[in-house]
This record gives sequence, C-alpha cells and structure tokens, in this order.
Amino acid sequence: MELRPYQDAALCAWELAGRRGVVVLPTGSGKTRVALAVMARTRLRTLCLVPTRVLLDQWLREIGRLYPGAVGCLGDGVHTVAPVTVATFESGLRHMDRLGNRFDLLIVDEVHHFGGGQRDEAMEMSIASARLGLTATPVRPDHPSARRLAELVGPTVFELAVADLAGRFLASFDLIALHLDLSETERKAYSERVSIYREAMAQFRRQVPEASWEDFARIAVRTDQGRRALLAFRQARALLGFTEAKRKALGSLLVRHADARLLVFTADNQTAYAISREHLIMPLTCDIGRHEREEALTRFREGALRALVSARVLNEGMDVPDAGVAVVVGGSQGEREHVQRVGRILRPRPGKRAVIYELITRGTMEVRQARRRREALAPRVSPCL
Amino acid sequence: MLPESLLACSPLGDEISPHFLRESDHVWLRALIEACDRCIGRPQRELAERLRQPLVSPAPEGKRRMAAHVLSRLWFPKNTAGGLARRARAAVFLESAKGEAPPGEVLAIVGGRLGISPEDLARALFADLPGERLVAPLPDAQSPGELALRVNLALAQGLLFRATSVRIEVVGNARALVRQAKLRGLLCAIAARPGQASALEVSGPLALFRRTLLYGRALANLIPILATCPRFELRAECVLRGKSRQLRLVSGDPIFPAPVASRTSYDSRIEERFASDFGLIAPDWDIVREPQAVASGASLLFPDFLLQHRLDPSRRWLLEIVGFWTPDYLARKMAAYRAARIPNLIFCVDELRSCARGDLPAGARIVRFRRRVRAGDVLAVLEDGGAGEAPRSSEKGALEA
Repeated sequence: MELRPYQDAALCAWELAGRRGVVVLPTGSGKTRVALAVMARTRLRTLCLVPTRVLLDQWLREIGRLYPGAVGCLGDGVHTVAPVTVATFESGLRHMDRLGNRFDLLIVDEVHHFGGGQRDEAMEMSIASARLGLTATPVRPDHPSARRLAELVGPTVFELAVADLAGRFLASFDLIALHLDLSETERKAYSERVSIYREAMAQFRRQVPEASWEDFARIAVRTDQGRRALLAFRQARALLGFTEAKRKALGSLLVRHADARLLVFTADNQTAYAISREHLIMPLTCDIGRHEREEALTRFREGALRALVSARVLNEGMDVPDAGVAVVVGGSQGEREHVQRVGRILRPRPGKRAVIYELITRGTMEVRQARRRREALAPRVSPCL
Repeated sequence: MLPESLLACSPLGDEISPHFLRESDHVWLRALIEACDRCIGRPQRELAERLRQPLVSPAPEGKRRMAAHVLSRLWFPKNTAGGLARRARAAVFLESAKGEAPPGEVLAIVGGRLGISPEDLARALFADLPGERLVAPLPDAQSPGELALRVNLALAQGLLFRATSVRIEVVGNARALVRQAKLRGLLCAIAARPGQASALEVSGPLALFRRTLLYGRALANLIPILATCPRFELRAECVLRGKSRQLRLVSGDPIFPAPVASRTSYDSRIEERFASDFGLIAPDWDIVREPQAVASGASLLFPDFLLQHRLDPSRRWLLEIVGFWTPDYLARKMAAYRAARIPNLIFCVDELRSCARGDLPAGARIVRFRRRVRAGDVLAVLEDGGAGEAPRSSEKGALEA
C-alpha cells in the first residue's frame, strides 16, 4: 500500500506506542487508509467500529478494494462475522459479549464518541490488545473523557490539524467571516428573549456558582420560570438561524459563486428547508431517505446539482464529493462540527483554493461561538512534511 | 423507551417511587386525547406543537409530558405525498441547478411538466417529510384508562431500561419469562423459594464483572410477560440521574389491564383435555399447570403439571406430557429430574410419536397414550405406585425448590 508521508508517520507512531493509540488527522486526509495499512501490517483478526450505517458501507467498500477475503458486517440488518469485520457502534455494543474474544485488533473510527458513556463497554468487552482510534476532532486533553479514552484505546500518538496539511495534501483555503447585523425588529425580539434567559441563568448561578449549562438545563425543566428561560433561549437561537441579513448575504454568495460547487451548512433542519424553498437547493437532512440522499450526492458529484444545504447530515460520516465553496449560515455543535464541515471542501485538486464563508451576527452569542470555532482550525504542530 | 428526563418518579429513601397514572388523572388524559383528535388531518408538526402546550384541565407537568410522549408515538402519520414529493424534488432542484431561471420560473416550468400548478408544486416539495405528513385517526380509539395503562407500562419499562440487574419472584408462567430472557441473550439463575414461587435473577454476561446498563432494553422487554403471571414481585437495581436505587413492581400495580376471568393457557389440546379429565375423576388431587421451575445442574426444567393430594400435600408428583420422544431422551430427562432429587415423576408418552427403538429407561413411570392421555391411567400410578412412595423429608425441599 502506498502511503503519504504523514500517513506513514502516523502508522510508525502507532507501532512505536505499542500498537495502542489515537491518530488525529483532518477530514479528507485519509484516516481510513491509515487503518487499512495497520490491518495489512499487523495481519491480525480485526474488528472495525464505525458510528453510522453510511460509514459501515464506506468501510466495507474500502476494505473490499484491498482485501480479497470475505469481510464480516454487523449492522444495517446484516450479521456476518469474519476475521475482518466492520460493525456499527450500536451493533458492536450489542454483540461484543459474544464476539469480544474473536478479534485481536480493534479499530475505532470517530473515536471521540467514546470515553464517557455506555459505548465504552464495547471496548471493555473486547480482548483485542492492539487498538487504533481515528478522529479529526479529538477531545480536549483536560476533558474527563480524554483520560478514559487513553485507558480504552491509548493516548494520542499522532496529530495533525487542517492547517498542517492545507496547501499540499489538502486544498488551501480562505476563511472569510461576514459580520452581519440584526434588523430592528429582530434585535428587539432577540434582546427580549435573551434577557429572559439571562435573568434565570443569573439567578441559578447565584445559587450554584460552579454549575454548567447542562446543570441549568436539567434543573430548569422543573420550574415554570426555568422552562420559560429554556424556551426563550431556543427561540433566540432559532431567530439567529436565518436572519434577514443572512438571507440577503446567502443570496449574494449564491450569485457570486454561481459556477462553483457549493455546500451550505445550517444550524437546524428548518433553516435548511427554508433555504431550500427560497433558493431551490437540494436539502440533505435526516428526514430525506438514504437512497435519495445518495442520488443527490451522485448528482452533485456529476455536476447536475451545484449546491446542497444541510444541517448535520454532512458533518460526519459521509463521503462528500469535491466542493469549492462552503457557507456556514449557522451551527449547533461547536468547534468539532466546524472542523468536520471545513474538511468537507478541502479535497485537493490542482490549482484549487477553497473558500469558507462564516455568517456571524454582530452583538449576539454567535460571535463567541465563531471565535472558538476558528481556534479549532489552528495548527497542532509545525508542518514539516 | 421513555428517555430518562421524562420518567416521572421520585426517590423514596433507597427506592424509586414511580408516579403511575391513576383514575384521578383521567380528566386531563381525556383533554389530551381530544386535543390530539383535533389534529387529525393536520400536519404532524402541528400535533407535536399541540402536545407541548398546556391543557385546558390542569395536569401534573411530569405526567403530562410523559403521556404526551407516549401518545405522540401512537400516531402513525399518513404519507400520502411520498412519490410525488420525491419526483418534485428531483425535477425542481435539477432544473434550478441549470441556473437559467429564477425560482418562480423554475416552479412554473417543472409544474407544467408534471401537470400541477407552481403553488401545488411548492407545497408538494416537502410534503412527505415527517413533520408535514398528515395525522391519521388511530386504528383503535384510546380511552383515558387505556392510555393511562400504556403510559404506566412505558414508565415501568423506561425505569427498567436503566436497570443493572433484576430479581423476579413469580408464581406461574415462569417458563415464558425464562424463554424470553434466553431469547434476549440474558443469564437467568433460579433461586429456591418456599411455596409455589420461582425466584429468577436475571442479568447479562457483562454484569458478572461490572454494573452495566447494557441489558436494560432486554430486561425492560420482560415486563409485558409478567402480565401473564398470576402473581409477581420484581425488584430491580436502577441507575437514575447517576444514583443507584431500587425499583419494586408487584402484581396489582396499574401496568396491565385487569385480568379477564383468568383462563389457564395450555401448550396443546392434549394438555387441556388431560387437565379437564383429571379434575373430573380425581377430586382428591389438585392439578397445577406449569408449577415452579426446577433447577437441575446448569439447566432449568419446566414440568407440565404438578399433581398434589389435597389431604396429604406430601404426596406430590410432577407430570410431563412428551410429544416426539426416544428412549435416550426420556433417560436424559429422568436423570435431570433425579439430579434435582425429584423421583416422583410421570412421563406420558405418545405411542405414535416414538422416534427410535430401544428399551425404556429403567424405573421410569410411564403412561402410554394415543391422541388422549387417559386420566384414569395417571390416577392409577398415583394411587398404586405413589401410595407408599411419598418423598423423603430431604426430597421435600428439592421438590419445593
């Protein structure tokens, strides 16, 4: 197998770490290829755990291209076990008490989903001594799940960020933040809702200074005031989802990049449908059936569709065809989601320079979110590849 | 399963007290059902919105949210627009991607092609999405009482979904419980209890090493089986909001419909006839269908009947009606019962269903039959063979185990 230099370096780092550890590489940089190289190098009986059914298909396809033997599959209604088997997280967890002793190498895609929940038990039930975790968005080292993950899979043994590979192995990109204003009516409505939320939150913080947002949400549902505060927060966020200014800005960007293949990311499905109705862009959401989504991606790949709009479906676990422009109208999952989204348009092509537009509303919660998102794209090491 | 945040219950010391819906809740349940009925023919998102709003009758918030969740799962929205919506999306977005016409014109062009107006086409674009599907009437109208039972069952299952282990003391129909547990890949251990009850400890393999919620779904699926057990007491160790607490459910909790004139169910017509015939000719003997399970080594045995003398309860016989059989099979079965120190055992074997030649196991009390077990033949074995063979005191315990 031919590997890129950084993929080879990741493989060596994993071997040197005693065949245990997490490899962090950006979306589109070939994490699956590193996993295939590990399987080829070790020749161990391997179980690959993947988060979704879409990824299950992709992994089966990728392994099938290189491995002549039968590949087992657990998930999506199939139950076949072979020396090389791919399973969804859920099927893996359900069947691991009977399969845990049958594999010597455990490969976990999108491993950041582990480290703090019931899924961890799947790894506990496996006797595989060799373990490889793959992710583009590792958990922060100070997060409690980072320690747990280190116990289950091993420490991070190799890490590169988008900025480390952009320009050579990933396309170069420009990140353009468009700061927009709320209209007078929107500002009034937003301020009203935010003040209801802030008042309740401040009151709660006075009683429990160290409490997190999750603590607040859990306690708030028990009182009328708390429920009103949560509703106000949701309404404020929904209001920011697709403001008048964002609507206009998106319209201009669609005209400006009329010849480019473009992905639009929104915070929620409702906004995705609103954009779809207004600009007649195909939406890709969890409500759209799997076959129709695949058809849409094929048409996008062939150029018959020039734009797609999505809330979360394109974030993770889907082989997205090459696109040159992304417009982030809104997000709900923080910096991890942003890194995955940016990675979607960095598939390299000669002469390509990708553009990512972030639509940020001034004087709102979006400003802080956008700052944190950008920090997540910063380089992790000095690129010397 | 109800999510943890919707489980209406409160801690009571180390125990959980589930907030079951009772008759006093029927007023607001009726209001909730009527509110949903008004959404029939409307898009599903309107029903979801309606279920979030407060009701005309005051209702406890936790119970209302739980009932609304259960009710929303009962409605299967009708997808009448699936084919058209998908065709419309394919045509409209492809046409739009050509970039030659503004959205209004695209709808007019595609609408002309599909033979519908641009307005109808715009409406059809997403008419098949879950929120847009139309709410259809329920196949069976729900009364407040029925809904309350459904919600209570969902609450009990939701709590058990968070269980690490379960202990069930059950009278009757233990076989169905064990069968279900086995089907779900659970481990089931039986413990000795006095009287007719069987005590089952149910969990999964990983639970041998650590406390786990992995088997919660399988454990929750045991609850509906309990509806067929005349008496039960279930104790479960549940983890709720990070704390471990005991859940106790007993027969009589408002989870299942009131038992209709309980009629014993039989595995076959032969069993049913035998029970009826034996009751007629042997008034001195009680006949118990599916008595407690018997532990024999690593196996559980489920005899078909227990025959017990009314005046002398120490005269107890277990009886199995065997369908297809071989002498080896009977010998193994008898050895298993003997390992459990139960000698008083009668096999009723169908002469037409012998699957191999050979001698019957020595010492076996066998009643042969064709199509119908003759109750008189069984009674003869009890009266003759069993008169002087009451179990020894050491065997009594085993019989009761």
